[in-house]
Amino acid sequence: MQTRFDVIIIGSGAGGAPIAYTLVKAGKSVLILEKGPLFKPQYQNTNGLSDFKRDELISDGTEKRVQVPGVANYGEGFYSSHVEPDINDEPHVYRGADGQDRATIEGYTAQVVGGGTQLYGGVSLRFTPTDFQLQSFNAGRTDLKNDPDGDVQREARDWPISYDELEPYYTQAEELIGFNGTVDNQLKRFSKDNYQPPLEPNPISRYAKAGMEQLGRELNPIDPILPYRTPLAVITRDHPPSGRKVPTDPETLKTSYVNRYGCPLGAKSNTWVALLSPISDQPNFEIRANCIVTHLECDGARINRVMYRDPSGRQLSVEGNLVVVACSAIESIRLLKLSARFNSEFDQRINQNDLLGRYFLTHCFGGASALMPTRNDKSMALDADWATDCCATEDFLKNNGLWAGGAIYNNTSDQALPLSIGRNHGSQDLDTLWKGFIDDTRLAGQGLADFLDENIGRGLSVSFMANQVPQRNNRIELHPTISDKWNRPVAYIIKTWHRHDQYLMDTLAGMCGKILKYGGENNTGEFQFLFEGQGGIFNAENALARIANHILGGARFGTDPRDSVLDIHCRAWNFDNLYVTDGSFMPTSGGANPTLTIQANSFRVADELLKRL
Amino acid sequence: MAVQVLDPDPEYVLNHCTKYLARDNTDPRHNFGQFGSDDTRASIAESWRFPLIATYSDGTSSKSNYAVNQVTFVYQNRGVVSPISVGVIGTFATLYEPIPLRPIQFLGENTGYFALTVIVPKAEVHFYKYLVNNQYIIDPINPQRVTLDNNKTWSRFFTQFCTQPLSFEDWEYAILQRLVAHILPFRTREGQNFIDRYYNILDKQDKAALFPSAYRLDESVGATNYIDCILAREENHHLIDYKICISEINQVLRQRNPFIDPQDISVEMYAQLYNEMAANTVPGWDYSKYGRPRYFWELLRRHTFTGAFSHPKYGGNIGAAGWAYLAERYFDTATKTTLFNWQRAIESPLGINKDYHG
Repeated sequence: MQTRFDVIIIGSGAGGAPIAYTLVKAGKSVLILEKGPLFKPQYQNTNGLSDFKRDELISDGTEKRVQVPGVANYGEGFYSSHVEPDINDEPHVYRGADGQDRATIEGYTAQVVGGGTQLYGGVSLRFTPTDFQLQSFNAGRTDLKNDPDGDVQREARDWPISYDELEPYYTQAEELIGFNGTVDNQLKRFSKDNYQPPLEPNPISRYAKAGMEQLGRELNPIDPILPYRTPLAVITRDHPPSGRKVPTDPETLKTSYVNRYGCPLGAKSNTWVALLSPISDQPNFEIRANCIVTHLECDGARINRVMYRDPSGRQLSVEGNLVVVACSAIESIRLLKLSARFNSEFDQRINQNDLLGRYFLTHCFGGASALMPTRNDKSMALDADWATDCCATEDFLKNNGLWAGGAIYNNTSDQALPLSIGRNHGSQDLDTLWKGFIDDTRLAGQGLADFLDENIGRGLSVSFMANQVPQRNNRIELHPTISDKWNRPVAYIIKTWHRHDQYLMDTLAGMCGKILKYGGENNTGEFQFLFEGQGGIFNAENALARIANHILGGARFGTDPRDSVLDIHCRAWNFDNLYVTDGSFMPTSGGANPTLTIQANSFRVADELLKRL
Repeated sequence: MAVQVLDPDPEYVLNHCTKYLARDNTDPRHNFGQFGSDDTRASIAESWRFPLIATYSDGTSSKSNYAVNQVTFVYQNRGVVSPISVGVIGTFATLYEPIPLRPIQFLGENTGYFALTVIVPKAEVHFYKYLVNNQYIIDPINPQRVTLDNNKTWSRFFTQFCTQPLSFEDWEYAILQRLVAHILPFRTREGQNFIDRYYNILDKQDKAALFPSAYRLDESVGATNYIDCILAREENHHLIDYKICISEINQVLRQRNPFIDPQDISVEMYAQLYNEMAANTVPGWDYSKYGRPRYFWELLRRHTFTGAFSHPKYGGNIGAAGWAYLAERYFDTATKTTLFNWQRAIESPLGINKDYHG
């Protein structure tokens, strides 16, 4: 058993895999330790069967009950994917608005080789140049709404790198990982178009497109900002960099078994099929699945041992010249905090200021939904068809007193399959699945038939994904009493929404509502257009838990060691060989889904690591 | 009976064991009421997954192997000393000849997991025991245990598409069918019309082409069967709810109409009962035995809907009748195409996707 490597990477998702790919290609010895299993698509298994299925009971399974001692939702039912952690074994605990602690599935991506990229919908937008400079952009402004204490200007940080500095790595990620989409109408500079052509949009998306066009004209009458095809991490053509092939008819990839489903064919560009599988036959690369890292040990400024449990629970260790932590922000921060408990020197170095875990971020998100005038076959869809940047322009932000903007796109694969229609009816998140359905007394016999008639093929939602104001007290801690299945303290999520966040969410939800109304009301069909509602996630019953699986911040990078946890290369300030490259490095959360930016940044960091090896 | 035995794939075994079995914490966090207070299975996550049941293919054609599952038995040594031998006997093979489980290694070291994979036809129920150091034991992980007529307890598993009764007496099942049928849309006129036609279509089809079609399609499209299956496995903690509440419903309906068996009582009386349960006020219900009939009503509706529209391998949606109902109901007459084309994504022979093998 090899115990020494050039680089040890903890986590195989968006933050870890690009580094492994780059360093292995350069001949360096790399070990990935991954907590989850290695599940493969059909073409990689000798029996020709995938470990992922098109099966609605695999994405959100049968009922289990919260049995974590001491939480307020003890005894409540929950439903999780086969590759999400069991809440009872590895809960995330958040502090609710009533001050009580609850266990939640929120804030986990997936525990499997490929991490969150296995289950995500694949929306892969670049951040805008403004997203990287929100401190500069907001300096001196007096027009910001709902920010009486000047929090935005005090807490916003420019990234230590600009869009232009990251742009080559966006390009590299788009080439190597494999995306479809269109460049035209995106408000970001592209040095190269590496997108594969998108598939035909689902017919229901025409309403979203029409609505986005009208909103674009309304906001910018002279030079309208028009929609573009949402970049998705799904290949639509054979992909030489990863050796993947698509079906003879790529249109058959549209199945709506997309978001929260692993792809049995390997067409979704998760980091296993896109980056790790192509290097898996290299003698200088090893991935140890089903191995959880328990803590890191240091000797002075060097991490000298990575302690982990093998699949049977046996404690083992490995050594690396460089150590990269990339197990998604909450778990990475938890790992660093647990390591500090084991070792006082580690504690002093990682806590050289008090910022580890602070400025935890997710996104301001929400949207609008409606029942459209015609029925369409939504079972043939990928996750999103159309997107617009019309709410991310500097003019839009200044006209609306907003500190930052966000991307808007229509969801296509949601409300498509029958079980998802039932379990998401009236629920707002993964913690409240089925609740709306079981409370709706009309859903039986003819009432159930009517419910299906109303919903199948008619539901359309438009979402926004926008920056959240960084707040010092939004943080990840170790829970004082609740432990996981290894008897280690679990992550404790403490966060609130800023008043400006609420204003921003109301504003962008209004824009999403306009898109649906413009698209739906102006079109006649078999049915009457029915607007169901709009809003930001802060309105949800359990709004303080909501993370959207966008787990960011808590170990932000910067140029000043007093004001950041990581340096510009994502190295922990007082360590020589410890890097953190999942979403925790972000000082602001960006106005779009974060995965592509995490991947691009990891390619950037990998180039830096190569200089050291 | 000859059984096909496969070398267990260590990667497969570890991929499906670590999350559930590897742990230090022995709190009973996975006991939702289905285990006694001192049962070690209460500390194992999703112990119902064992033995592991999965689709099978020999690598040449998943379609030609569609009638069988692969079943992987797992024994976890929790002691310090590794057992000298671990085997399994069961009704899936010859009962007098144990088949050895092999130690599973990780990086050249034993993990304490022992495993064996066999091929078993779908829609079957089997009983088994482990033989550890020549001592017969029931599976310490699998929650399914059955005491047979000779008063001996065995571990049990069933394969996908199972339609054999597992949890209920006939009278219980009959009442459950009536409750389930009340919830689903198939008792509407259009729904009944669909069921009648689809049943005939299924009967005429080549049975080998649409596995398994050798059962009667009922008004619940198999949702009752699905409930029977998940109460035996995934949601065994809710079996007690069904047992008590079906008994109560039996009593209530007999009080209201002493001359007709509850399963034969009119649709209108079931509708009345349904509404009373929704309101949590059921005259004649013994609230000291079960305080919230509304809770059972909620449970039943979730299970029924799930059973009617989940993949048929779970025992409901028989012959994909639930999906076919939607495919027929949502139809574009102008283009003569369905607006719920479920077959396009699903594996053959159930669906028509050429690339996905299930």
